[in-house]
Amino acid sequence: MTQSKKRPAIDLDVIRELAQVLAEASLSEIEYETGDCRVRVSRIVSAAPAAAAAVAISPSPVGAPAGETHEADSFAGHPGLLTSPMVGIAYVAPEPGAPPFVKPGDPVAVGDTVMLIEAMKVFNPIKAHRNGRIERIFVDGGVPVEYGEPLLLIV
Amino acid sequence: MHTFHKVLIANRGEIALRILRACREMGIRSVAVHSTADADAMHVRLADESICIGPPPASESYLNPVAILTAAAISNAEAIHPGYGFLSENADFAAMVEEHGIAFVGPSPEHIRLMGDKVAAKRACRQAGIPVVPGSDGPVENEDEARAVAGQIGYPVLVKAAAGGGGRGMKVVQAESELASQMALARAESVAAFGNGALYLEKYLSRPRHIEVQILADHHGTVVHLGERDCSLQRRHQKVLEEAPSPALNARARARIGKLAAQAAATLGYRSVGTFEFLYEDGEFYFIEMNTRLQVEHPVTEMVCGLDLVREMLRVAAGAPLGFTQADVRFSGHAIECRINAENPQTFVPSPGRVSDYHAPGGLGVRVDSAVYTGYTVPPYYDSMIAKLIVHGPDRNICLMRLRRALDEYVISGIDTNLPLHHRLLQAPEFIDGDYTIHWLERFVRGGD
Repeated sequence: MTQSKKRPAIDLDVIRELAQVLAEASLSEIEYETGDCRVRVSRIVSAAPAAAAAVAISPSPVGAPAGETHEADSFAGHPGLLTSPMVGIAYVAPEPGAPPFVKPGDPVAVGDTVMLIEAMKVFNPIKAHRNGRIERIFVDGGVPVEYGEPLLLIV
Repeated sequence: MHTFHKVLIANRGEIALRILRACREMGIRSVAVHSTADADAMHVRLADESICIGPPPASESYLNPVAILTAAAISNAEAIHPGYGFLSENADFAAMVEEHGIAFVGPSPEHIRLMGDKVAAKRACRQAGIPVVPGSDGPVENEDEARAVAGQIGYPVLVKAAAGGGGRGMKVVQAESELASQMALARAESVAAFGNGALYLEKYLSRPRHIEVQILADHHGTVVHLGERDCSLQRRHQKVLEEAPSPALNARARARIGKLAAQAAATLGYRSVGTFEFLYEDGEFYFIEMNTRLQVEHPVTEMVCGLDLVREMLRVAAGAPLGFTQADVRFSGHAIECRINAENPQTFVPSPGRVSDYHAPGGLGVRVDSAVYTGYTVPPYYDSMIAKLIVHGPDRNICLMRLRRALDEYVISGIDTNLPLHHRLLQAPEFIDGDYTIHWLERFVRGGD
């Protein structure tokens, strides 16, 4: 959010109103400028449905404004953290409507397929890198993921 | 549709920032792609959106077509600007981009492929009216044929291995009396190195300049040339400093070669920006190759023409007409670009690391294209060029004075740069007089002259 230095008082009503519009229209960001005052309101878009044709890119951990934290950040460096080996769209189930590959609590063995990532119409199986149990899943089906983005945690 | 709403920039460093700036001025949203090594890079910080596409090695990130196309698809980018290097002259990538319904901001895949084949490029350009180095036009069968060809093109001639490269199987023949013995040597070297004794002949240029002509073409048949750049100051085939106009050309020579280049581009049906590179000696131009992309040194042309080449590329890619003709192109003053590399100024060993202090020069006629900032860490994985200092002045003398002043202001601490080399260059009488060839800088660096 930015605001002109000349206007020290923050017009909370404007921001509230913009936030409402943002939510109603399912937008990720609104920039509003009038006179010498500019306000930008942004939010993290929740997972788009798997069937969505065009997916809005979710704010990435890298591109996100300073101060925002990712749920998976606290597990950075954890040996059980499985990160995305490529940029693409993550899928948690083999096909729409099918049960997911894994759910929290499921036991997994090295080599088990836990997700798919689609890059250029090719579905790449993402396999468990260690034996254990699924502790957390950080992404929802149908969302874009970056290279290196945390996918899930195996403990 | 004559404009894009969102463009993905498939590059890094100063050129990614250069393209991003043009996008922002045109109201186009920019998508930066980056490797994990560039997460804190300026092009990532300033882009409207950014996507991490891979680990540090370029082969798995900036040279990964699938990762880049996927990033374009999930960000709904309508066009991809490849910048220079990386995938910019990869015809297969350009074709993939177009097959996915995304505009490639550059020439057609066919033109990239044609110019990527050096033999086919030379043939196509000669047919389109571009002067090429005279030679045997294929292997010479025997000594008699070689003698006839050499007599026709005039001594000295160069005997080259058809399979050659890296200087092996290459001999300079000063006079006819040496022809037989030098051909035997070249053939022996060629057989030893490449297992093939086929030889061809070319006119030998002993002290050429490197002069290149910038062209710009739209989809509607309008082609203009934007004059030349003199890029003779090279070390190991890497350009170090470029200037426009060339101190060696007068207005008539410029108009002549510019017209030939523009006509050839029109004949070839070329679109977007492109550069015909020539060797120039004794008033004659000899085609070397065509670059089918934006060039590192494009800013010197922008400074003397007052045009934004990236903006024009984006407009052309969106289908817009140029909106001006050759008669509207005006050349004004003189511009010089210094390539600033993170390298030891004596040994030329790359010097990646953290930039502890950064202050760019400013003032009238001074432009710095760089993605460096105080605290930035130059990663060891990519090209060592970290900045371009471009200076414009009403004439070459004022430009030189201004460039010295700007170099004095430039502070880059914490890493080694070649700024000291540029300081020395700006004091060299041969450079000041514009009296240099493509061999001059190597000798100057070695401490000769």
